[in-house]
Amino acid sequence: MTFSISDSGLNALVDEVIASGTTVIAPALVKLSAGERREYQKIGSAQKMALTGAIVSNSLKPFIMPPSVPLFRYTRAKAAVSLEPATGKAQAAVVIGAQACDIAALEIVDRVMDWDYHDEVWFERRKATTVISLACTQADASCFCTAVGSGPDHPRGSDIQLLRKKGGYLARALTESGKAFCSKYGSHFEKAGDDADRDPLIKETREKVETNLKIDLGAIRSFLTRNFEHELWNDFGLRCHGCGACAFACPTCHCFDIVDEPEGITHGVRRRNWDTCQTAKFTVHASGHNPRKDQNSRIRQRVMHKFQIYPERFGDVLCTGCGRCVRVCAGGMNLLEILKVLDKSAEAKS
Amino acid sequence: MTSTGFEPKIAAFVCNWCTYTGADLAGTSRIQMATNVRIIRLPCTGRIDPLFIIKAFERGADGVIVSGCHPADCHYTAGNYHARRRFTLFNDFIEFLGIDSRRITFSWVSASEGQKWADIVNDTTARVRELGPFSGYRDLVRSGLTGGQDAGT
Amino acid sequence: MRELKNLAKRLLEEGTVKVVIGYEEGPVGVRPVFVTRPADAEKLVFNSRCVQNLAAYLSRRRGHIARLGKSAIVVKGCDARAVAGLIRESQLKREDVVVIGMRCGGVALRPSDEGPLTPETVADRCSGCESREPKLADHLLGELPPAPPKATRMFELMAQIERMPVAERFRFWAEQFERCMRCNACREVCPMCFCERCIQDKSQPQWIETSPHARGNLSWHFTHAMHLAGRCSSCDECQRACPAGLPLGLLNRKMAEIVRNRFEYQVSDDSTVPSPIGAFKQQDPQEFIK
Repeated sequence: MTFSISDSGLNALVDEVIASGTTVIAPALVKLSAGERREYQKIGSAQKMALTGAIVSNSLKPFIMPPSVPLFRYTRAKAAVSLEPATGKAQAAVVIGAQACDIAALEIVDRVMDWDYHDEVWFERRKATTVISLACTQADASCFCTAVGSGPDHPRGSDIQLLRKKGGYLARALTESGKAFCSKYGSHFEKAGDDADRDPLIKETREKVETNLKIDLGAIRSFLTRNFEHELWNDFGLRCHGCGACAFACPTCHCFDIVDEPEGITHGVRRRNWDTCQTAKFTVHASGHNPRKDQNSRIRQRVMHKFQIYPERFGDVLCTGCGRCVRVCAGGMNLLEILKVLDKSAEAKS
Repeated sequence: MTSTGFEPKIAAFVCNWCTYTGADLAGTSRIQMATNVRIIRLPCTGRIDPLFIIKAFERGADGVIVSGCHPADCHYTAGNYHARRRFTLFNDFIEFLGIDSRRITFSWVSASEGQKWADIVNDTTARVRELGPFSGYRDLVRSGLTGGQDAGT
Repeated sequence: MRELKNLAKRLLEEGTVKVVIGYEEGPVGVRPVFVTRPADAEKLVFNSRCVQNLAAYLSRRRGHIARLGKSAIVVKGCDARAVAGLIRESQLKREDVVVIGMRCGGVALRPSDEGPLTPETVADRCSGCESREPKLADHLLGELPPAPPKATRMFELMAQIERMPVAERFRFWAEQFERCMRCNACREVCPMCFCERCIQDKSQPQWIETSPHARGNLSWHFTHAMHLAGRCSSCDECQRACPAGLPLGLLNRKMAEIVRNRFEYQVSDDSTVPSPIGAFKQQDPQEFIK
């Protein structure tokens, strides 16, 4: 079902959603001590939206899986321990103007969170969120969504997909909840839109991203399966500092740590915090032994998890080609480059 | 008690050899003083990591006293000299982070200065009472000012 | 540049060093490179986009780099302060590293910033730099370029924060630290953060809350600055590496100012001058102590 919506119609829609008490998350300009950038933010008015501009610098992950989630509060009295569930359950939210890479990531992580265990902390926010994506009309040198099965206008994970056209957007309602949303706010949508009206920049963007990276994911996966030990790994980790910037910027990295944070001798909070395989601490044993003893082995883990371990279990890859790991890396690590090397090695071996 | 009913909680980090003994002397001399201070005894001011003070604020202390042997009197010769350098940095730096340094009293109290200890306790209590409660640090955990980072409980 | 490539090639050929830690043109901007073969010395570059402080790679925590063997490192004057810091604090023996010093005309904020330096694009630390010729160098290369333009934004922000009433200042930092996710990039890129086990990673007792909430974050960034007092080489790598865009350089800059005012000490690339925190004077200021 394709509708169309004008710029002013979209603004009115967003303001109406906000007025109804639903949280709206959209790209907005954030002022930093040095310059400003686009970030997904909870916005208080449609005026705040910044739907075009450079790639959004954070992912949607913090909104579905916050960096630190309180699970429960505990109190100890002699031998008895009492637990009190954490307050603040997920509220209804609408994401507007999200990039294809960020939306696809939600579906990719869904599978992990509903595999051997149904993760309530993830799904509670996930189910409360309606996702309206916007096809990208810009890309930079680190974008490679088309190489990992997505694309600037890929609808995967969207309830509704917006595509830029002159004076407004085409709106494709893709899921039941998307259709329900379109009929609930039907007054803002106009008659069926014509797909031919879409901004030619979308196609150009796709072509640009395609030139950034072309790889054979299947070949890489089978190469990785056979080459856990390979001299290649000795080079990849050299410039890596071993921080978690890539993992925390990544829309699909989902590892967490659980900590008890005492607030006194008898009481405290159990929390679930983001964690990353890129630090030494992630795997260190109580004895002091660390099976991933250096940065090379930690980089290998990150690449293997995304392009071999996850695919083995779920079919496609644990990466949506957003390129954030490249943009945030202080050491100049580049996943596109690593994938190119792996692709070439896989080709040479076959 | 003041009319607001606010009684500050004050943590005191003191060295074993001078100030703790001085505080003991204040007690055995039956000097009257405010009851707001909880003393934590350490071997030397050199053992007082600035993090101790931060931890006190994290857990909701309204004020902090740090006290040890006068310069040249350290039981371990130089512990208080090293500590003094750290306290100097700490004292200047926390103002930049927005923590009112009037909430913290640094002092030298010897084993014979029972009266001085009582004065430090009374002055600090009065000053912190004036400044009001300091829950700002402890409550940072639930401020939730931005984004989806609802870290609160 | 030819000079640099030739020197690196010679050091590797002679076997003086096994690896040259320097800069190369990466896919997006200049980045660190580890040259182990003489032929690869051609990759080395030096220009105003050589932003990174490579001294972090000399830290003993980088086992995979140490395993390559003795290293030579390309440094700017500011980076030399960090190398000197590692030597001063017994993390590195002077004879175990060949220091290739580059005369420097300032660097950009980001390694991908092309074009000539302007007050908008120049790195904050380059303003009024007095160490454009590293003294620590075994080999000093290049001609001294003109002094870089002056960036003022850091001073302005510092002044703005200092003008705030104390409660407003607390709110300013609280809002900043709300954004911190504890990826620890600030720690990992820091050449002076070489502790085998960071206090943040100690759990018995847990001095610093590891959760990324403003309280744990403030305690961490406070501690980082305290632990860098009189040691920070002011490379601002923490700030550059921060994916949340926090002005972390301000904290270290403030601390450096306090150290300078109180103890008349400034971090230099002379590794024989003791650190102000390991030392004291009987006449040190104590007007704030009752």
